[in-house]
Amino acid sequence: MTDENRKTTDTAGRATIARLAAETLPRLIERLTRSELSELEVREDGWRIRLRKPSAGNGAMATATAKSTGKRAHAASGAPATGSPSERSSGSARGLHTTHSARVESTKGTVTSPAVGYFVSRDGVAVGIPVSRGDLIGHVDVLGMRQEVVAPIAGVVKTLDVEGGQAIEYGQRIARVEPAESNVQ
Amino acid sequence: MFNKVLIANRGEIALRIVRTCRRLGIASVVAYSEADRETQAVHLADEAICVGPPESRRSYLSAPALLSAALVTGCEAIHPGYGFLSEDDTFAEMTRAHGLSFIGPPSEVLERFASKAGTRTLLAKHGLPTIPGSGMLRDDAQALSEAERIGYPVLIKPSAGGGGKGMRMVRSPRELQQAITVCRSEALAAFGDDSLYLEQWLDENRHVEVQVIVDRYGNGVHVGERDCSVQRRHQKIVEEAPSPALDDGRREVLAESAIRAVVAAGYENLGTLEFLLDREGNYYFIEINCRIQVEHPVTEMLSGLDLVAEQIRIAAGEPLGYGQADVVMRGHAIEFRINAEDTEHDFRPQAGVVENYLPPGGPGVRMDSHLYSGYEVPPYYDSLLGKLIVWGPDRAAAIGRARVALDELVIDGIVTNVPLHRALLAHRTFLDGEFTTNLLDRVGSGAFLAASRAA
Repeated sequence: MTDENRKTTDTAGRATIARLAAETLPRLIERLTRSELSELEVREDGWRIRLRKPSAGNGAMATATAKSTGKRAHAASGAPATGSPSERSSGSARGLHTTHSARVESTKGTVTSPAVGYFVSRDGVAVGIPVSRGDLIGHVDVLGMRQEVVAPIAGVVKTLDVEGGQAIEYGQRIARVEPAESNVQ
Repeated sequence: MFNKVLIANRGEIALRIVRTCRRLGIASVVAYSEADRETQAVHLADEAICVGPPESRRSYLSAPALLSAALVTGCEAIHPGYGFLSEDDTFAEMTRAHGLSFIGPPSEVLERFASKAGTRTLLAKHGLPTIPGSGMLRDDAQALSEAERIGYPVLIKPSAGGGGKGMRMVRSPRELQQAITVCRSEALAAFGDDSLYLEQWLDENRHVEVQVIVDRYGNGVHVGERDCSVQRRHQKIVEEAPSPALDDGRREVLAESAIRAVVAAGYENLGTLEFLLDREGNYYFIEINCRIQVEHPVTEMLSGLDLVAEQIRIAAGEPLGYGQADVVMRGHAIEFRINAEDTEHDFRPQAGVVENYLPPGGPGVRMDSHLYSGYEVPPYYDSLLGKLIVWGPDRAAAIGRARVALDELVIDGIVTNVPLHRALLAHRTFLDGEFTTNLLDRVGSGAFLAASRAA
């Protein structure tokens, strides 16, 4: 290796450290917080970064929400012009973003769709009824096969966001269950 | 013609298909995974529907999720793009069983051409020369005896799928025994099928492929060839047409024999026949790709055809409507695959945010890419960021435009393989049109890059 080359390499090394600290690291933290992963490892230019998430707390969730909302706005403005909103149906990208943020903001009581298909609610499920963890809320009909939708926690059904027979996509919010003896808003 | 089509893919090809749908007045629905929510295809499509988590197995490779998505959104057809389920005959059959059209060859055609070993036998019957090779390998003992018969070195190849996965060249029985286990597991992971076969290894060869279009009524045309000899570990990096290795007479013979054979064998829709070309100009059929190819824009630039539109029209049952004499090829085109790979570090795939993206422009310059400033490259899928395609009246003019376009292209925030393309455009062997498929691997990409910096 010539001196010229080495110099270039050293400069590149310092630039890499600066970039890792200033840009990559915060982004990785944000990404890990948003994801369902508990650990993330990234290797770049001979550097290795490993992040491990502490058991998820509400504080971390709130931070993730704020950041990811900001980024979403940025991404949307950076994208080229899209078709006029009036052309879009109810299943449009616009609607999906709302769903996404709802998922991120929500706590453990959110019931999301496990699949793409038609939602069929269980008889008797309504806003205000008490449910136990694992109780059947309904199912998603995927090509005639049932994928069960169950209450993730015990509590009271606070909202029902999807009507029976409605087409839903993966991850779409179906309902929200509020813990029974909780003073969480 | 269809009113509404589900696009079961992602990245640049999803965007490419959305564009053609819009032009044809077909409503498009993009099926996307949770990792691809913020993508151009999702924004540009008439509708978008999330089909699963980032993991491909549960989204882009999940037949029930994709079919259900097509049904609940009221689509009449599914465009599978390339990779994922694009050549899966079971998926094509399921699509039909649910009353939908598969935009590609019908399932029975996919099934007939599913096995590479079987396809070679079939097309050899219809006049295509093939490389000496084995049938499907039952076990290691048979592999060893077949390799002995063919003669080392041999190439181990997976019977399903392509893209260089599960492929190894071996020079001895010892290497064969070591490599075959690796190839089996790679093939199983990539294609869900671990069957392998052997092929004689041609040391100095070029990869030339012929684009064909065949309608349901047996009318077919070829749209010339593409030369994909610039490869790294069996992965194409640069594709161009016409091939610098063929004169017009040989070009004609190759393309004519290809279209004749596939029409006779009952092929339907868009397809690509891949050939190896040796130093003496002999060509050998190796495999057929029953889908739109990554490098299809090269052919579009020369012919003026919209190959995605042709796929859709044929799948909708329309006759081809033109003949070979109507296909006129003009000029020279080169495509550069822009990958999120670190060429300095063994082409390690990169993920992260594209801080700033500015595509190049000007006459004869086309950029097919799903990037935008602020786009986050997810770590779950392949590393293709886009394709720069240049056209010129001749090869020298195309190369000149490529240099300017590559200099103009800005992709900040993520490491790409653009340095490799710059090195290629400075390399005598490429400029002379003498590239062979093994050259990069033999020289070593690192040495190749260093040499171009020194020059």
